[in-house]
Amino acid sequence: MIKGYAGRVLEIDLANRSFAFKPLDEEIARLYIGGKGYGTRLLYDRTPAGIDPLGPDNPLIFATGPLNGSVAPQSNRFAVVCKSPLTGGIGNATCGGSFALGMKKAGIDILIVERRADAPVRIEIDGDRDEVLFHDAAELWGKGTYATQECLGKKQHHAVIGPAGENQVLYAGIVSNERIAGRTGVGAVMGSKRLKAVSVRGSRKLDMEDPEKFKEYTKEVRNLFKDHPVLGESMKRFGTGAIVNTVNARNILPTRNFQRGSFSEAMDISGEYMEDHELRGVKSSCIHCPVTCGRDVDVEGVGRVKGPEYETLALMGSNLEIGNLKKISEWNYLADDLGMDTISLGASLSFAMELHDRGVLDAGISFGDPEGVSELIRDIGHRRGIGDDLANGTRRMSAKYGGEEFAMHVKGLELSAYDPRGSFAQGVEYATTNRGGCHVQGASMYMESVGPLTINPQNLKLKADIPVVQQNLACAINSMVLCIFTTYGIIPKAVHEMNPNSIRYRALVLAFENMGPLLRTAMGMKGPPMLWFEKWLSYITGQKFSGGHIQEIGARIFNLERMYNLREGFTAADDTLPGRILHEPTFKHMQSGHPLGQLLPKYYKNRGWDAQGVPTKRTLERLQVRI
Amino acid sequence: MPVTLQLTYEMSKALGVPRLELEGPETVADVVRTVESRFGDVGADFAKLTRVTAIAVNGVLMNYQRGMKTRLGEGDVVAFVKAAAGG
Repeated sequence: MIKGYAGRVLEIDLANRSFAFKPLDEEIARLYIGGKGYGTRLLYDRTPAGIDPLGPDNPLIFATGPLNGSVAPQSNRFAVVCKSPLTGGIGNATCGGSFALGMKKAGIDILIVERRADAPVRIEIDGDRDEVLFHDAAELWGKGTYATQECLGKKQHHAVIGPAGENQVLYAGIVSNERIAGRTGVGAVMGSKRLKAVSVRGSRKLDMEDPEKFKEYTKEVRNLFKDHPVLGESMKRFGTGAIVNTVNARNILPTRNFQRGSFSEAMDISGEYMEDHELRGVKSSCIHCPVTCGRDVDVEGVGRVKGPEYETLALMGSNLEIGNLKKISEWNYLADDLGMDTISLGASLSFAMELHDRGVLDAGISFGDPEGVSELIRDIGHRRGIGDDLANGTRRMSAKYGGEEFAMHVKGLELSAYDPRGSFAQGVEYATTNRGGCHVQGASMYMESVGPLTINPQNLKLKADIPVVQQNLACAINSMVLCIFTTYGIIPKAVHEMNPNSIRYRALVLAFENMGPLLRTAMGMKGPPMLWFEKWLSYITGQKFSGGHIQEIGARIFNLERMYNLREGFTAADDTLPGRILHEPTFKHMQSGHPLGQLLPKYYKNRGWDAQGVPTKRTLERLQVRI
Repeated sequence: MPVTLQLTYEMSKALGVPRLELEGPETVADVVRTVESRFGDVGADFAKLTRVTAIAVNGVLMNYQRGMKTRLGEGDVVAFVKAAAGG
C-alpha cells in the first residue's frame, strides 16, 4: 500500500445494516490522489446515468486523502461526493472540523454509504475493532447540528445533519464541529438516506515514507505561514471577513441580489469591524490549523458561537442590503444549526426579496429590512409555507415564479460573493466549474481582483487561462485533502510588501498579464517539488509531486467531473452565467455585462475540448481518464 | 455631486469618519492632496497609507487608468484598496 493511506474503504449498506471493509484501489489513488478525485472516480464507476439524487441509488461518499491525519497545517478536511440534488450534476463539498482526522485514525480512507435506512439511524465506527454499529436515531431526528453533536459526545469525531438535511432542503450541508460541507446539497442526500450522524473513532497512526523530513519541513511551513501577510496576519486577525472592504472597493460585492457591486454599509459588516465590536475569540478553527480563520461571536439567547464568514457576510448581508452584523451572526447561527449552505440560502432570500419588490411573490421579506428573515430561515429548514419554495434554490424558484434573468445561479448552484462583472476570469470559472457557480473550485478572483498581484480584471488577457490553472490546482488540493486557503500562501511576502502604485509593481503585473499560454506551460512543468503541499505529498507517499504533476492530476479530475456532467445530460449551454451578469452593467464604463461569449471558446480550446465543450478523445487519453 | 472617498478600515479609524465627500477634485492626486491638507498630522499618516494601498476609481484600479492623473467627474467614487483574501 502506498504510504499516507490507511488502505481501506468502508462500504456501508443502510438498507440491510451491513458493512464491509475493502482494500483501497491503489491505481485510483495514484491517478486521483484521494478526497474529491477518488470520490468522483467511484461515483462515475458505481452509478449509471440518470439516478435520482435523493433516491437510494445515490451513494454518499466521504473521502480523505494522504495528507489527512498528518499534522500538516490546513490538512483536516474531508470531501463528500455524490450526485447533487440541487444541480443534477456532480455534487461535492469539503469540510474542516475533525472528522477527517477521525476517519484516518479509524483506518478508513473512503467511506461509502449506500441505499437508505427504513428509519432514522446513526452509525458508530470503531476502527480499532473494525466494528460498525447501527443505532436508532429517532431521538436525535429534528435536533440541530449543535445539539446533535453535544448528544453524541466528544469521544468520537462526528459528521451530522440538521433539520435542513432531514427535510431535504436542496442546499443542506453536512457539519463537523462548527464547519460545514455546505455546497451542492450533500446534506440532503444524507437526509434522504435517513442517516443523522456518522461517528468515528480509532487510534491508528499515519504511516509516512519519510516522517523525519516531513516533520522538519512542516516546522518550516508553520513559520512561513506565521510570517505570511494573509495566512499569518490578515486572516488570523480578521478572519475571511477581512476581504469585505476590498471587494466593496473593487465594486464586486454582491448588493441587492447582484444589482450593484458596492454597499454603503460594507464597513459595518467587515472582518475589521467584527474584530473591534463583536469578536469573542477564536475557538472554532480546524485541528492543526495555525491560520485560525474562524471567528466567535455572541448570538443573543444562544451565547458564543462561530461567527459569519465572508460569503455569509456578503450573501446574507450586502446582498440583502443588511448592514447589521448582529443580525447576520444570528442568521449564520440558524443556518449552521439547521445545517444549510449560507451561499445558496442568501441567494434564495435575495431572489425572494427581488420577487417581492417586483410584486410577484409576497415572501414577507424585503431588501434592507431584517424583519421576518429569521422566521423564514427556520421555515426553509423545516420546509414550511413559502420556505418550502426557497428550500429548492433559485433555479427551481425561477421556474415557478419567473425571474430567470436575476436568479443568480450557474447549473443550479448559487453564485458566490464575487461579482464576475468586475472579475472576468472568475466569471469564466463560475460558468465552467462542474459543480456550478462556486469560487472555491479555483478562486481565480485572487489573481485579478483581491490578491496582492492582480491583473486588470476587465480585459480579455489570461481570462481563459487563469481559470484552467486554478481549477486544476483546486481539484488537486481538494483531493489531498487540504484547505483551499493554503493557495493564498503561494504569493510570497515580498510581493505583498510592494507598493501597488509603484512602477516596479506595475511592470510585474504587466509581465504577468502578458504571459499568455506561457502561464499554463510554466505551471505544467514537471520537476522537483517546490511548494509545501507538493513536498508533503512527496514525503508522505514517496511518490513524485511537482507543480506539473498537480496540474495534470487536477486536469484529470476536472475532466472526469465534466464527463460525469455530460453523461447526466449537461451541454455547453449550461456553461453560462445569469442573464443579469451577462447583460446588466455595474461599472460606469461598461456597456453590457460579462463577455463570456468571447472567452468560452478559448477556454474550451485551452482545456482540449471541442467547440461543444466535450473533452476530445486525445485529451482523455493524455490524462488517462477512463470512460 | 461631490466625489466620494471610500476608505479602508484603518484610514477610517485614523480620520475618524467612515467616508468622505470632496467637492471639486479633478484628479486622484487632488484627492490625496486635499485630504492631507485638511487633516493635518492625521492627513500625513493618511498619505503614508495611500502609499501601501491601491486606489480604485469607480471600482477600477487607477493603475489601469492614468494613475494619479486619472481624471474625476461628479459622483465618482475613489476607493482605497488593500489586498486581501477571503472565501
